[in-house]
Amino acid sequence: MSDFLTVDGLSRHFGGVKAVNDLSFTVKEGEILGVIGPNGAGKTTSINLVSGVAKPDQGKVVFAGGAVTGKAPHLLARMGLVRTFQATTVFPERSVHENVLRGTYLSRYPGFFAAFFNTPRARKLAAESEALAHEVLEWLGLETVAWDPAGSLPYGYQKTLNMAIALAAKPRLIMLDEPVAGLSAEETDHVRDTILKVRDRGITVAVVDHNMRFISGLCDRVVVINQGSRLAEGTPKEVLSNPAVVEAYLGKSHAAAYGQ
Amino acid sequence: MKTITADNMAASQKQPHKADEGSTRQLRIKLVLGLGLLAIFIILPFLGLSGFTLSLATTILITGIATTSLHMIIRMGHVSLAHGVFMGLGAYAAVLSVVKFGLPFPIAMIFAFLAPAALALVIGPMLLRLSGKYFVLVTFLLGEIIRLVFVNWQSFTGGSNGIFGIPLPYEGLADPVAFYYMTLIAALLCIGFVARMLQSDIGRIIDTIREDSRLAECAGIPVLRMKVTVFVIACGLAGIAGGISGFFIRYIDPTSFSIVQSLNFVVMNIVGGMFQLAGPIVGTLFFVILPEFLRGYVELQRVIFGVCLIVVMAFLPTGIVGLAAYIRHQLSRWFK
Amino acid sequence: MFSPAVLGQVLINGISLSAIYILVSLGFTLLFGIMRVVNFAHGAMAMLGGYALYYIYGEANLPYLIAMPLAAASVAALALVLERLVYRWFYQKMFQSMIGLLGLDMALVYSAVIIWGPHERSIPSPIDTVYRLGPLFLSGSKLVVIGLAAVTLAAFYLFTHFTKYGLAMRAAAQDVETAEVQGINTDRIYMLAFFIAIFMAAMAGGFFAQNYILSPFMGERQLMMAFIAVILGGMGSIPGVALGGLILGMAESILGTYFGSTTSVFVTFGAVIVLLIVRPWGLLGIPENR
Ligand SMILES: Nc1ncnc2c1ncn2[C@@H]1O[C@H](COP(=O)(O)OP(=O)(O)OP(=O)(O)O)[C@@H](O)[C@H]1O
Ligand SMILES: [Mg+2]
Repeated sequence: MSDFLTVDGLSRHFGGVKAVNDLSFTVKEGEILGVIGPNGAGKTTSINLVSGVAKPDQGKVVFAGGAVTGKAPHLLARMGLVRTFQATTVFPERSVHENVLRGTYLSRYPGFFAAFFNTPRARKLAAESEALAHEVLEWLGLETVAWDPAGSLPYGYQKTLNMAIALAAKPRLIMLDEPVAGLSAEETDHVRDTILKVRDRGITVAVVDHNMRFISGLCDRVVVINQGSRLAEGTPKEVLSNPAVVEAYLGKSHAAAYGQ
Repeated sequence: MKTITADNMAASQKQPHKADEGSTRQLRIKLVLGLGLLAIFIILPFLGLSGFTLSLATTILITGIATTSLHMIIRMGHVSLAHGVFMGLGAYAAVLSVVKFGLPFPIAMIFAFLAPAALALVIGPMLLRLSGKYFVLVTFLLGEIIRLVFVNWQSFTGGSNGIFGIPLPYEGLADPVAFYYMTLIAALLCIGFVARMLQSDIGRIIDTIREDSRLAECAGIPVLRMKVTVFVIACGLAGIAGGISGFFIRYIDPTSFSIVQSLNFVVMNIVGGMFQLAGPIVGTLFFVILPEFLRGYVELQRVIFGVCLIVVMAFLPTGIVGLAAYIRHQLSRWFK
Repeated sequence: MFSPAVLGQVLINGISLSAIYILVSLGFTLLFGIMRVVNFAHGAMAMLGGYALYYIYGEANLPYLIAMPLAAASVAALALVLERLVYRWFYQKMFQSMIGLLGLDMALVYSAVIIWGPHERSIPSPIDTVYRLGPLFLSGSKLVVIGLAAVTLAAFYLFTHFTKYGLAMRAAAQDVETAEVQGINTDRIYMLAFFIAIFMAAMAGGFFAQNYILSPFMGERQLMMAFIAVILGGMGSIPGVALGGLILGMAESILGTYFGSTTSVFVTFGAVIVLLIVRPWGLLGIPENR
């Protein structure tokens, strides 16, 4: 497996807060990478920097062999790098179907004039994206609620829809920011199965979360971030038995107890 | 109730269940109403109305072009307080093309579109980055600056005296009915253009950008480029409205295109309803016709405008159109 | 042209203008900070302050030092009624407040036209004397503006830094939710902030009417300047507003005297537009997320 995404020496400071500080890690093609770390470790900020939502102060991001540091999110999305947001972000007033349809923009939009005149090509693309939306809905088990307003759905469904919108952009690498935060155990298992299905389609996944059970049951590899930098890296098992990781999560005294 | 920022105004658009795709029935109702309105405008000159009424109708059409073009900008989540000034830019461009350079009328109208569109293209990429409240402020200041240019560039614009005695583009247009029909055709083209745009996938993108521009960008939508495109077209269309109005009133001066005018367009959009094209159309009809019942009480009109704005913003975020839809919804529930 | 006498004049004019702008924009930013309302009717409140002073001082001839605060307080009291009728619907709703209060501004300004007519009036100055200090000539009426504004601003500072309610108000301006959690009665804070903000605006309006003109439309300029001062300094930042008002008043006085008022407006607005584009959070403000 080759390096699909390489993050090298990435930094972003907010005033005195070093949200991300000289952070390096890689994502390999076809894997599911977990990113964990305590609250405020800089996980969301890292995703923002990689996906172009925020600009890094320093460092380099290489995606699929090309330098993409500081590129705008829509350009990255076009290259196949798509992310979701930590706080559930859907279009709450719109139907689930419409939400997903909006995600298909990249393969749907035929250009201004073609869209305006609804040329045969525009109609063909619209039909295709309609089919794509349908496929994604079915894939994630959302077809039963396809016509409900997204805002009226239970939280678990909204999280799934969150992913569906991203998948509709046909990503090659999808970055998920806490896809199971606030979900029940049952819902969490459902999301895990979905992510596994996503990977089976050849889509690389990077997933940020706090839920250890979820991460270790899902990921091939885990990167631990603490205070903006990489603390550890390895298989879930290796990482979870690393005293430095336990310390970062639970504090020194617990770590000592854990070690014995 | 949720807080609504200009960046996320859609939040208040309470859609009836399962209706966001604009069900075919709703579309049909809108189409019928639109065609009915058009029919009235077509036969209007044959109803034996006074010249005054005809000129009022012409004003409605010109204003309609301006408000519907502004609607596109508002739909993207930006309230522009410079739209009246962009209209003025078109008016000056068209009138000066004819008066100073002796160009034919159709060319003048092309300039009426191009002048504001060009300015929009230059400043759009900077302005449209700004979030809601800052955009409002900058367009407000920009409007003042352009107005000052109109006032101070005496040799070209005639300063605050303006330009009067503007010649008719064609002899034939001396007949108010002929001028009316020309305006009707222009309005049909411009508003039709806007309607088509909003009905197409471009409209879906515009709504997506307003409702969540960050999510839109991460789905691959080139948000800024899209905004600039729409902004340029909208300002160009406002320029056409300005050009026609210059030749209609045959007099232009900086005060006809001031902040007050820009504000009027905003009021018409918001009171009419800012999330549907029907909004600015209803708003225009309402606010051009209503003052005629209060002729001679100009101040009272403005007080009423003001109170309307307060009431709509406090209690009716979807405007008159939204209220109508709500009432219809309630009625259909009762009678079923 | 650059004689000490002219320079002194420019300085005094600049300071008195700055004082007026700071008074207006301080209230504006307070309302924005605490209630998240963009008070487009702030200029109209200043205008009402001008008319109140016109009647209380110009017509009823009360002593100036009583008339001035009385005029401002009466407008602020009226504003409390408007607070119940209009403003409260817009608290914490920035976008709606912007448009809705634009409507209130329209309604107030044109009501003023209906009541008082569109023509300009003037208010007699409490002191007509021009004092001489070395080479400088100091106009008494401008000194009064500067003096009273200084007293008001000092009172505002003391109030917000040393009294229970003042501190609560500042806390609320920083972060309403936290303040609420800490048990601050936001309703009362809202009323208080509202009274103070409008008091200062009305006072500034009185000063402006006295030194320049009084008309229903005079508030437009106040509002615009308040806006610009607030943007310059950074929305919601109180020291920022003071800085913004100062820069604005001095720039207007200096540019206006030496280059004419059109240039002054061009330069000021142009500079603010550029600032807004490169640094929308202003000189002393804090950037929003991102
Ligand atoms: N826009 C911002 N301005 C200032 N500070 C910020 C900003 N964004 C993040 N921070 C700070 O940077 C640090 C890292 O934040 P980040 O959101 O990346 O953490 P996280 O690992 O995602 O935490 P969580 O698990 O709570 O989601 C925090 O201390 C946060 O307060
Ligand atoms: Mg996070």
